[in-house]
Amino acid sequence: MENILKMQQALTNSIFEVFERMFYVFLEPAESPDGEHPYRVAISFSGPLMGELMAFFSRPLAETMLKNMLNVGENEINERLTSDCLKESVNMICGNFLSKHDSGQVFDLSIPTCTSGLQVDGIKAATDFGALRLDFSGGEGSLIVMMTFSGRDLSVG
Amino acid sequence: MSFNVLIVDDSNAMRAVIKKIIAMSGFKMDECWEAGSGKEALETLSHAWVDVIISDINMPEMNGLELIGRLKGDELYKEIPVIIVSTEGSAERMREAFVQGAQGFIKKPFLPEDLRKTLYEVIGVGTDGEYTEDATSVDELDF
Repeated sequence: MENILKMQQALTNSIFEVFERMFYVFLEPAESPDGEHPYRVAISFSGPLMGELMAFFSRPLAETMLKNMLNVGENEINERLTSDCLKESVNMICGNFLSKHDSGQVFDLSIPTCTSGLQVDGIKAATDFGALRLDFSGGEGSLIVMMTFSGRDLSVG
Repeated sequence: MSFNVLIVDDSNAMRAVIKKIIAMSGFKMDECWEAGSGKEALETLSHAWVDVIISDINMPEMNGLELIGRLKGDELYKEIPVIIVSTEGSAERMREAFVQGAQGFIKKPFLPEDLRKTLYEVIGVGTDGEYTEDATSVDELDF
């Protein structure tokens, strides 16, 4: 249980670090944010710790991230660029978390995927499978992050 | 003196960020080429003169470490300095990149200053765009 809490803290710190440095968004922990989270981004990782990291973004948060990262206006936002930006964010969160988890080990990350349309019911179903779940608000929107994991190495360095 | 830069990353957004940071840093950039994979980077190099490569690791088709391996095995490209910009920041992965021949490593997420500082160090120029004493000039390269 202690290891899980340490992993949760490491993941939270990674999320804050990525959002603050790359997107200039200051997130705050939230309780089960309402509304739609139409963007689902997933990345899997393998090594001493294996699993999948999924993030569900509300549209306002996704747009804020894109505007802040690339300094683009409303009329320059499109689905391709949004998807690209969100995939990069999850890639960075996952890599940053794994470095915090154990910087002495090598982990392999998959190429992130982005799909749209999964709503809150889908998120609840995913949570029911026992994933670690973190909820945040900020950037005029909200974010739900879930991680499933397994492996011999469940200690945080 | 200005330099041609090749940015290799499968993310359009990240390529745009890196390009923006370089432009804002005052680095004297002439051409900026972009590639979405190691394979595309090699295609670009076949028709473009590049002074420094900034590359991600985790990419489809050919990753950043494979790209460095290909560059170091080619007489024409082996002297081009490569800076890795990656989320994969473990000590072992960094060691692997340097053993392959990378000359700089920046972990994502990074601050603009991290990229600027590493770029200047690797290419061996001062903020005035002129080579520093320790730098390898193009004239010294053995083709």
